[in-house]
Amino acid sequence: MDHVFKIYPTQISALSDVSLEISSGDFTFIAGPSGSGKTTLLRVLFRAERPTSGEVTVNGMNISGRHFRKIHQLRRTMGFVFEDFKLLRDRTVEENIAFALRVTGHPRKEIQPRVSEILEWVGLREREKDSVLTLSAGEQQRVAIARALVHHPPLLLADEPTGNMDVQMAADVMKIFTALHRHGTTIVFATHDTELPKHYPYRVIHLANGRKVEK
Amino acid sequence: MKFFLSDAILRAFQNMRGNLFPILTTIGIIGISMLIFSTFSLFAFNLTSILKIWEDKIEVIAYLKKGVPLGEVEGVLKKVRRVEGVEAVKYVSPYDALSFMEKKLGSQKNLLEGIQPGVLPSSFEIQLEKDYRNSLRIKEVVFHLKEFRQIEEVQYGQEWVETFSAIVHVFRLTQGIMGGLLLIGLMFIISNTLQLTISSRKEEIEIMHIVGASPASIQVPFYIEGLIQGLLGTGLAVLFLFFLYYKVLLYKVFFLYLTPVMKEWFAGIPVLFLPPKTVVIILLGGMVLGLFGSFVASMRFLRYSG
Repeated sequence: MDHVFKIYPTQISALSDVSLEISSGDFTFIAGPSGSGKTTLLRVLFRAERPTSGEVTVNGMNISGRHFRKIHQLRRTMGFVFEDFKLLRDRTVEENIAFALRVTGHPRKEIQPRVSEILEWVGLREREKDSVLTLSAGEQQRVAIARALVHHPPLLLADEPTGNMDVQMAADVMKIFTALHRHGTTIVFATHDTELPKHYPYRVIHLANGRKVEK
Repeated sequence: MKFFLSDAILRAFQNMRGNLFPILTTIGIIGISMLIFSTFSLFAFNLTSILKIWEDKIEVIAYLKKGVPLGEVEGVLKKVRRVEGVEAVKYVSPYDALSFMEKKLGSQKNLLEGIQPGVLPSSFEIQLEKDYRNSLRIKEVVFHLKEFRQIEEVQYGQEWVETFSAIVHVFRLTQGIMGGLLLIGLMFIISNTLQLTISSRKEEIEIMHIVGASPASIQVPFYIEGLIQGLLGTGLAVLFLFFLYYKVLLYKVFFLYLTPVMKEWFAGIPVLFLPPKTVVIILLGGMVLGLFGSFVASMRFLRYSG
């Protein structure tokens, strides 16, 4: 990310001259209070927003141009975990994960084994036939993580993934993220909880009012 | 990754099965819209066929001068057949004319008692080619006929032909404008209805965008759904219209509400259903409208933004 600005049409400046580089395999916390620009930064990396100016390169693709048309290809190289999970509430655990593979054109015979494998990994194999509505917040987030990881992306973006959870649930979810990092996945983890990064030996980038701040 | 059409078709059916209520509502709305259009087409088709019946009745009668020898009549007949715009010519002798009048008068034919065939002129009944059955071009034929010295008078019911031509013109214009406006209205209704179906699946579409489904794999199943919904809605509309035709129009149930004079007038008019070719065109049109509606709706909800 090189000198990135994001100014909304209402003249609200969400990112101001943010430059940062995250290497492959890094675990990086983006920390800051609400409104500091964490979500905008992740949305820019995800190409849900286009920067007003500056350059953004993700997984070797320069995604900042107006005419960048390979958004779907970019997103297949990353997973995204949201605070509100974004699960299909009328479907089962298994269907939610299989959906991601089905709509990205994976062969049908491949889908079931991969769903089972990833559910085993996040510890929800025994709940695969259950409706997601019957799961706790921590379990729902684990389904969302499983969906984000099922196509084995090298990069995982997480926007306040533990925001809705109690301490124990959050710790369980963090275990998954640290395990993932050990397996080589690059993780960008946004959080408003400035205490959380202190428990982990990972790099922390602080944001305030859309600017990077040194702490 | 390659995107297979068969998978898109399968997904379109799966989507439809999983969203029965909005899909059925859309099919219903398309059905009602297309029923309005097919009913309009049915009336337009029947009015056209009525006009065609009247158009076929347009003919020119050329009365021959008295005393033209029969041998000469044969030669004139051949020449008249060669006049541009003439399709067929029938010679009507004074005897034929008298027996025709007797037939017309029926039980009152005794009115003709004492009239000798020689009193009546012989004539040519001239059928015109289709393009000449209007007030402008019929005059060209009449002009040429009047050049024959053996022909005394040419009649074609000038006023009637002019009125008829004006009716045909106004009807075709109205049909075109109303049909066009109706189609534009249908496009709006169908595309808005399909937008409702798509917006009811906003969450699903959002997740497709998140996981990186290709634009084709997001849009094509919706286009296929649009095609299927257009076909089913239009199919239902045509079936319902056929039912309406079979039960109401064919048996002229509406006769109960007509005056005796109108009943007599309508009795001679055949009520036809749309020809198979038109039905196929309407069904294809419904599919195209469904596809178009999905396409317009997809621009709002299915594209990647950012």
